[in-house]
Amino acid sequence: MAQPEPSATAIFYRNLGWLRFVDRFGRKGSQTVEYLGGLFQMIGETIAASVSRPFYSGELVNEMDELGVKSLAITGLTAFVTGAVLAIQTAYSLEAFGGKQFIGRIVSLSLVRELGPILTALMVAGRVGSGITAELGSMTVTEQVDALRSMAISPIRRLVVPRVLAVVFMMPVLTAIADVLGIIGGLGIAVTSIGMTVQDYITSIWQQLAISDIFSGLGKTVFFGFEIAAIGCYNGLQVEGGAAAVGRSTTRTVVLASISILVSDFFLTKLFLAF
Amino acid sequence: MSTAVSPAEVTQARAARRGEVIVEFKEVWKTYSGRDILAGVNLQIRRGEVLCVLGPSGTGKSVTLRHINGLTRPDAGDVIVFGESIVALSEEELSPVRRRLAMLFQGGALFDSMNVEDNIAFPVREHTEKTPAEVSRIVAETLNMVGLPGIQRKMPSELSGGMRKRVALARSISLEPEVILYDEPTTGLDPVSSEKIAQLIVDVNHRLQTTSVVVTHDIVTARTVSTRVAFLHQGRFQFIGTFDEATSSSSPLLRDYFRAMGFPCGTGVFQAVPKGD
Ligand SMILES: Nc1ncnc2c1ncn2[C@@H]1O[C@H](COP(=O)(O)OP(=O)(O)O)[C@@H](O)[C@H]1O
Ligand SMILES: [Mg+2]
Repeated sequence: MAQPEPSATAIFYRNLGWLRFVDRFGRKGSQTVEYLGGLFQMIGETIAASVSRPFYSGELVNEMDELGVKSLAITGLTAFVTGAVLAIQTAYSLEAFGGKQFIGRIVSLSLVRELGPILTALMVAGRVGSGITAELGSMTVTEQVDALRSMAISPIRRLVVPRVLAVVFMMPVLTAIADVLGIIGGLGIAVTSIGMTVQDYITSIWQQLAISDIFSGLGKTVFFGFEIAAIGCYNGLQVEGGAAAVGRSTTRTVVLASISILVSDFFLTKLFLAF
Repeated sequence: MSTAVSPAEVTQARAARRGEVIVEFKEVWKTYSGRDILAGVNLQIRRGEVLCVLGPSGTGKSVTLRHINGLTRPDAGDVIVFGESIVALSEEELSPVRRRLAMLFQGGALFDSMNVEDNIAFPVREHTEKTPAEVSRIVAETLNMVGLPGIQRKMPSELSGGMRKRVALARSISLEPEVILYDEPTTGLDPVSSEKIAQLIVDVNHRLQTTSVVVTHDIVTARTVSTRVAFLHQGRFQFIGTFDEATSSSSPLLRDYFRAMGFPCGTGVFQAVPKGD
């Protein structure tokens, strides 16, 4: 009752589904490697270009306004509402333990160490990262980027460096403002519906908050800003095709930048805690 | 280029060197997604001429043009511009070469965040130390030259397709390049605008003593502007010669092409039309 050995061809066909899967996986993998290779090359060129001449300081100021100042409304609102909600939720969960006096501490600590930076970064990824990709993407497909190159002007210097630096500089500023607004949001709830005094709330913050909390929170955002702008610029310059391709790239920026923020947040948090 | 030399002297010096080879392709290959777009292209472009690159859509005319200023690098072969091989140069090293060349893109490629004045002034401000007064004089002059005086404050989005191309041409000539590369300068324009652009190409070539490479599939334009035409097909130039030689050629390839473009060749009808200049 010895079974005949299956032929090589039979084995091949039996495993075809698997082979297809492996092949597709391999292709995705090599695309990813290519993408990351290109991204890191652009980052290298950007760093080299940002410390040498010509440097477009006028563009930097424009972009700080366009990408930074004009994001204030959305990041500020997000933080303010989050602070208020945080106060309500904290009051609710601590009520049983009689821990209402800790509300100021908990709200401020969560905001300054974590929620302020991460929410601001995610909002900026949505507004600024996508905006950068859309703008550079449409410049790419209408050959404006090639036009720059044909005029012997580096798109990295002229387009990428000002945007990356603008977001890197503005992220800590936006986050600091967001932290303050969030704490004020929490204060509003603490005073109006929990019955704390302004004095109590602020005192409890002062007791808790250390300089290191503030710096670890703001420090992270520099990295977040860099990630957002670098991914946004790279996806914009990479667009091939027409308006539809610009749309897809824009979506990709928001997704990739958000993932990159969340993952790097984990490692940066661990890193900053080590100090 | 030194700024101390007067424009007249520059054009005189250029005129004296007419005919020398200014751009040369040697066995250039370029493959995109497995297809050989350029398959051993050889081409010499001479100073002072207007060379039209003809051929059906998608044959690699734009790709050829982009090799001249290094926007695209060949897979194999050599491109020599102003006597120097440019294929191995970095973007930074290409800068001096690119400053002597200008390219007019198919859609104009005007910077849509800037008005007409800033668009035209852009390369001048980047690469020279001219005063604001000189810059606005150059802008006004080039705009006059392309027949659009006084539109400095308009944004690109307010302009028609033909006007955009003319502003783009003004931007290209603002630094007085030695070679101008035109990618489909008349495609998508109505016949009247096409004719205007074609006249401008001839005019600019003559007045500034530039060399022009005009990629087009518009035969009327080629006829108006060309000193020579080069016909690209299946990755190679199948024909290089004057326009009249092209239309009277016995090559079935060329005859088919001209016929498909609506030009009867070899019937004598075409040659009878006087060539305006
Ligand atoms: N950057 C690119 N990536 C992939 N394919 C390209 C690229 N540029 C050109 N091609 C391909 O090369 C061919 C020739 O393009 P092109 O030179 O633009 O043609 P045309 O003669 O109409 O100007 C086209 O089929 C196009 O798909
Ligand atoms: Mg083309």
